[in-house]
Amino acid sequence: MKRERPDTGGGGCSMEAGKSKMWKEEDGGMDELLAVLGYKVRSSDMADVAQKLEQLEMVMGNAQEDGISHLASDTVHYNPSDLASWLGTMLSELNPPPNFDPPAQQTQPRSITPLVESSSLYDDPSDYDLRAIPGGAICRQIEPPSTALREPKRMKPSSASSETELTRPVVLLDSQETGIRLVHALMACAEAVQQENLKLAGALIKQIGLLAVSQAGAMKKVATYFAEALARRIYRLYPQESLDSSFSDLLQMHFYETCPYLKFAHFTANQAILEAFAGKNQVHVIDFSMKQGMQWPALMQALALRPGGPPSFRLTGIGPPQPDNTDALQQVGWKLAHLAETIHVEFEYRGFVASSLADLDASMLDIRPGEAVAVNSVFELHRMLARPGEIEKVLGSIKAMGPEIVTVVEQEANHNGPVFLDRFTEALHYYSTLFDSLEGCGVSPASTQDQVMSEAYLGRQICNVVACEGVDRVERHETLGQWQTRMGSAGFGSVHLGSNAFKQASMLLALFAGGDDYRVEENNGCIMLGWHTRPLISTSAWKLAKKDPE
Amino acid sequence: MVELMIGISRDLPEEDEIQVEKKKKKPLDLEQAMPLLLQAFEDGNIDTIINPRLLKVYDPKEATRMVTCATACVNHLAHRRPRMSQMVVPLNTWVLISYFKLAYNILRRPDGTFDRHLAEFQDRRVPANRTPVDGVFSFDVIVDRATSLLTRVYRSAPGGEAHPSIVEFERPLSTEIVPVIIFFHGGSFAHSSASSAIYDTLCRRLVGICKAVVVSVNYRRAPENRYPCAYDDGWAALNWVSSRPWLRSGRDSKVHVYLAGDSSGGNIAHHVALRAVESGIEILGNILLNPMFGGQERTESEKRLDGKYFVTIQDRDWYWRAFLPEGEDRDHSACNPFGPNGKSLEGLKFPKSLVVVAGFDLVQDWQLGYVEGLKRAGQEVKLIYLEQATIGFYLLPNNDHFYSVMEEINNFVSSNC
Repeated sequence: MKRERPDTGGGGCSMEAGKSKMWKEEDGGMDELLAVLGYKVRSSDMADVAQKLEQLEMVMGNAQEDGISHLASDTVHYNPSDLASWLGTMLSELNPPPNFDPPAQQTQPRSITPLVESSSLYDDPSDYDLRAIPGGAICRQIEPPSTALREPKRMKPSSASSETELTRPVVLLDSQETGIRLVHALMACAEAVQQENLKLAGALIKQIGLLAVSQAGAMKKVATYFAEALARRIYRLYPQESLDSSFSDLLQMHFYETCPYLKFAHFTANQAILEAFAGKNQVHVIDFSMKQGMQWPALMQALALRPGGPPSFRLTGIGPPQPDNTDALQQVGWKLAHLAETIHVEFEYRGFVASSLADLDASMLDIRPGEAVAVNSVFELHRMLARPGEIEKVLGSIKAMGPEIVTVVEQEANHNGPVFLDRFTEALHYYSTLFDSLEGCGVSPASTQDQVMSEAYLGRQICNVVACEGVDRVERHETLGQWQTRMGSAGFGSVHLGSNAFKQASMLLALFAGGDDYRVEENNGCIMLGWHTRPLISTSAWKLAKKDPE
Repeated sequence: MVELMIGISRDLPEEDEIQVEKKKKKPLDLEQAMPLLLQAFEDGNIDTIINPRLLKVYDPKEATRMVTCATACVNHLAHRRPRMSQMVVPLNTWVLISYFKLAYNILRRPDGTFDRHLAEFQDRRVPANRTPVDGVFSFDVIVDRATSLLTRVYRSAPGGEAHPSIVEFERPLSTEIVPVIIFFHGGSFAHSSASSAIYDTLCRRLVGICKAVVVSVNYRRAPENRYPCAYDDGWAALNWVSSRPWLRSGRDSKVHVYLAGDSSGGNIAHHVALRAVESGIEILGNILLNPMFGGQERTESEKRLDGKYFVTIQDRDWYWRAFLPEGEDRDHSACNPFGPNGKSLEGLKFPKSLVVVAGFDLVQDWQLGYVEGLKRAGQEVKLIYLEQATIGFYLLPNNDHFYSVMEEINNFVSSNC
């Protein structure tokens, strides 16, 4: 019914408001006015959608008062922009199809239980996340009549309102005099660097230093890191990239404890992996971002609690070589194996050392026939953008692994533009927001240390974005829209994350201090976590796109 | 309508179709006409069915709408015939508002609680964007840390600059008067936000049309936050706006403030203006689009229009119960400002008001009562009554009401220059 057109890659659609052709519009026939409001309905489907709305209203009217409440609490909603498929889901929920399976397949009304029972979130880092994802992670077996629901979607680069330009979001804290002057000075300095007027830049750095002293809180810290990075760039005192990876792992662990971003990343990625593994008896997760393996205990718990019992679980953890030859990867594996034993999950582990993901090849990973593969990458893919051809190679080898699902978590920012000043400005806004969200976490001495280490973790990223260039600049963050285009072009189709993942992530956040100020957002089937209205990280899920029949 | 358009089925001899009708008194054969109609509609080619006497001289858009209407009306299954609401708004508007209606039904629980997570999941949002789009850029500001109160500020791009830098955000306005419209989005106190796409779009349009700065307030919503939270947030935003040096304009160098809102936002605008009057903050005007008011009594318009145009008495009751303090009824002054618990505005320096009422809005009797209340108190008010309009007509620029109301708003805020 819907013809799949070949992906036009980036920016191939023209959205001239003046031309409103009646029947066939340039952008696949979508009603332009609704598209601006975030709703995708083809003009040619409009009458049909209207009819379904009437139908749904009638059916809802016929149901008793709490006959529709399950539509909110139990039904999983996907991609709210697609009205046609939403209607399909709702109608099938209220009118089960004639060949509806017997009760064995019908899940009981499940209440969304909070993720954490009683343990506090600020436990010793060596105590793993033994919290299971509630049983509701696996979605119902009922397929709605509309085939559009989980089909790989043709990905369009970002929303209708910003077709050609990237959106540049910003949240300002209420300006104080010195705050604005400080930002002004930083921008002026960056501009001087852009214009290679290093003498002026050097003078401005000194001024920034003085202004920063009188600042307080997040603004001060951010300014300090940015000033340092600028100074390094000006005086060519480039940071050593080859810092002990175990130190950077340590910093990340503190970041993990302090704020919800990494937990959110792991949680949402695990949701998608769990759903993809439904009904599979042999599963294999390939983790590009193994580090201390913080993501996996929760998944293993959830698999252990699966109705019908856990699958056999293989984990391949990929990590960089260790300078002191300690086998960190293997040690992590031992810990996870121990956990697996206590929860009775058949477990096999392999640590795989690689300097770069581009060195990987599917054939090296011993993928066995019959096993369901998930590839997981948290904040790793952007590094591949530093050398030409690497990202394509990595995506190619992912495809060769034949995954059921690929989960990608990335920073939601464009720190990889060609112009230094633009990158600087973007990064300034991004990290200001991030640092602001860290404020108020340091109440006890232990958590103060967490906060300081987290800031250092972010500070290293700032330094890399601002001071480094070429192959050394690895923090090449790009936005969700850009990643969607890239994944689409590489032959991946989107797997939508639904309202259950959204709800549970929202509830997880409520447990963190400042929970109100964190916002979970759904965007084109992906889920983003942000601070106030600024999205900061995004989780997306992918599978191999089916070949076009035409 | 069908007959007028397509003449008659092709089996009749070629003559003036309408005259044939009168002479032979043969009713149009719907059995034969229907497939043709449907086929033409699906193909997107209505030329095949339009009376050839028109010689293809017709507006394709108009003709399409007539075909759609005709097809729908003669549909043999009565329950599949379109509702009245479908006849008075464009189809895409009908789809949008009907979708909201049904999606919102699912969010409201009979016990008065609200599925906030699902609501947030479904709300279509857009981020602020400091890259100008159609000459307008936006940024978010935290106005009150304690309540996390956020506003989205919309401005025209300065001198066509591609990317205003952060310092430009707070660049002072010109010596010409630039109205600053504080906007309260609708959603019956429970739904939407300043970043909802429907309201982000509307605010951008206001900037362009009125050459104004718009400050959209992300007030706290019911049922989690009842009266008076939304008013408190509006009040905080007003104070913030009034004290920004960079929002001053004109030779008198002051902030030229207007309050505006639709649905619950209109209600908030009224109550914030009331506080302003009592505190001496000057507001130049109030713009209320389909404002949300009510009372215990069931008015004639509520009874007549209940369930006919997207809105029901039952859902209105739910939202008031969610917003008003527990145990209060709809004659509370928040809901019914000129009711038994309201206060008189006589003698107060209340701002002039522009009130837009839609003829198919079931609470119009309350809105018209509000206008009367202002008049009785000697306040300046202009009523715009749109007979054929439903709620939400201003969300899509595809109807005459949209353009005429935007024009009225523009005149309203420029008349002080």
